[in-house]
Amino acid sequence: MHPSNETMRTSDPDSVLDRVRRALGRTKTPRTIPAPPLIDERVVRLVHTDLGLGELFARRAGEMNMRVTSCYVEECVPKLIESFVEMRIKRVMLSESSLLRKLEILPQLRSAGFDAKTWDEITLDESYDFDASVTDAWRAVAETGSLVLRASPGHGRAMSLVPVVHVAIVEPRNFVADLLDLFELIAREGVGSATTLISGPSKTADIEMNVVTGVHGPNVVNAFVLQ
Amino acid sequence: MVPVTLPQIQFDFSSASARATSDAALKRSVGDATERQSTARRLQMASLDHAEALRTLAGDIKQHALDHLDYYLEQFAENVRKNGGHVYFAGDGAEASRLMLEIASKTRSKRVIKSKSMVSEEIHLAQLMEAAGLDVVETDLGEFIIQINHDRPSHLVTPVIHMNRAAIAKLFSAYFKTPYDDDPKALAMQARDYLREKFRNADMGITGGNFLVAETGHLCCVENEGNQRQSLTTPRVLVSLVGIEKIVPRMIDLSVMLKLLARSATGQPMTIYTNLFGGPRAAGEKDGPEEFHLILIDNGRTEILGSEYRETLRCIRCGACLNVCPVYRKIGGHSYGSVYPGPIGALITPLMQGLDAHQHLPQASSLCGACYEVCPVKIDIPKHLISLRRDIVDRKLNGFAERAVYRLWAWAMKSPFLYCTITRLQKWELGRRAEAGWVKQLPKVAAGWTNIRDIPVPSSKTFHQRWKDRL
Repeated sequence: MHPSNETMRTSDPDSVLDRVRRALGRTKTPRTIPAPPLIDERVVRLVHTDLGLGELFARRAGEMNMRVTSCYVEECVPKLIESFVEMRIKRVMLSESSLLRKLEILPQLRSAGFDAKTWDEITLDESYDFDASVTDAWRAVAETGSLVLRASPGHGRAMSLVPVVHVAIVEPRNFVADLLDLFELIAREGVGSATTLISGPSKTADIEMNVVTGVHGPNVVNAFVLQ
Repeated sequence: MVPVTLPQIQFDFSSASARATSDAALKRSVGDATERQSTARRLQMASLDHAEALRTLAGDIKQHALDHLDYYLEQFAENVRKNGGHVYFAGDGAEASRLMLEIASKTRSKRVIKSKSMVSEEIHLAQLMEAAGLDVVETDLGEFIIQINHDRPSHLVTPVIHMNRAAIAKLFSAYFKTPYDDDPKALAMQARDYLREKFRNADMGITGGNFLVAETGHLCCVENEGNQRQSLTTPRVLVSLVGIEKIVPRMIDLSVMLKLLARSATGQPMTIYTNLFGGPRAAGEKDGPEEFHLILIDNGRTEILGSEYRETLRCIRCGACLNVCPVYRKIGGHSYGSVYPGPIGALITPLMQGLDAHQHLPQASSLCGACYEVCPVKIDIPKHLISLRRDIVDRKLNGFAERAVYRLWAWAMKSPFLYCTITRLQKWELGRRAEAGWVKQLPKVAAGWTNIRDIPVPSSKTFHQRWKDRL
């Protein structure tokens, strides 16, 4: 589908780009322009050290009502199962990830009696019938307590959106200090087909400013931070 | 496309605002919400080490993008196409709606989920698509309430700020045919259950956009509920409708903008979701759109770009200026009679849609400057409102009587004799009407002034007399 106005350098004197040029007092788009304003780190950066990023992440994420569970590798899955039992979770979907495979989450969940499936075993529509998801995280931002997830064939967008409970396993090497570091990294490594920053459970305050969580996305977001 | 005529509303600002100020429930709803949001904003801004410098930088980045908008738009459009998206430029609302309906019909989309976007309100997109026979549902909770109530949003960020929970509960009870329950959680969950089925079965998703990143061709959209993420996840087709002024040059600029946007809007350090996207799903992916279309709309923005008001296009629609505005707090958003209310709305509405139909808006301000103080991109709103008032006078849009009175006044004030005579007459008249040191009622032409306040009796000597007597 390519309507005629998709051509960029159109000769139509009333095309939007022509109007923009006219408004800027020119007839042709310049080939080079002055550099954009310098990003002064002293002004923008809020986290100045790479020490204690895990603690800072836990504090900031906690302020946004994200649960943060700090654990050693060997206690990760038992703690996960414990929390799922507590929340009466039955059906769990898992992203395809080397970290999750290494932690042997799928077989352990199955042997604990959960109906656990990986993302490639289910359809998008079926994902609506799952109670919880477990994924890895591409990065986590200490400054804002945000998980950064990147869509991929093994990690669907619906995974961190559709179920009521979302668990993300974060490795210490995933932390970046500041949003400045994150966007520098994204500028270098790309967005993929979609990248999402998650800073707590889905919420609304539209009714008399009352905060209600779990409105369209998960009601519980739990970051398991490995030691 | 089915031709749709939108109702032409004869809008009367003074009666609308007078009605609003005597509506106690409205004043309480808007007053409480704006107070809480601006307090939250103040507290969150304090967590920035260099808030002032950061606002300056954010303003400079947006200004730079506007000053070279042709360059960045071309770069951005080229990159979106490289990412596999389709880009269209729409001159106005009619063109954008036509493109939207064309995309819907070519992709055989019937069920549309739409997330919150001010530009879609600007062109009445949902109503036009509904009139064309599409099943369009607003999925942001506030916008959903607006849609089923056939109402209009009254705030840029919190659209149902004018409704209390009882009104919303009554509406839901009638719409879903369920018993009345005014618990916010219960109401939100009722909407959730209803909308979840809509998400699951949608053909097409529609979003707006907060920032367009020129260097990579991606959109950045923020939200709290997750309904926008649904638009990016389940439907086969995704269409984003965004104003051409939303460009930022680089990915790194988002770190500046995002540190300011949510803090200014709702006093959050960060919105719950920040979505970056710009094309169809990648090979092998099971969700995300198969097609991505982006409509970049002008609709009056190039008029502003070419004028002395260019910097008003920096606006990132945070709504901070609404929350601190003493006028907005008293009259609410609907009184403005425009899609964009509050100080920024009073400014950009006449600029985008013409001063003639909106000359009441630049007057709807006390020029106190609170809006300028909170603006995250430092738009000098009071200065521009004064310039617009000047334009009204220059173009003789104010009434004949007003112009005659001011001309007469200027003529009298230029003559020392007339000035002194008028002052003396005034003193005499006010003295005659005084009771116990106060004037409680003025004659009909000025009665409005004394309806709600008294005037102290002027001193016995005018300034001129005192000056002659060496004070």
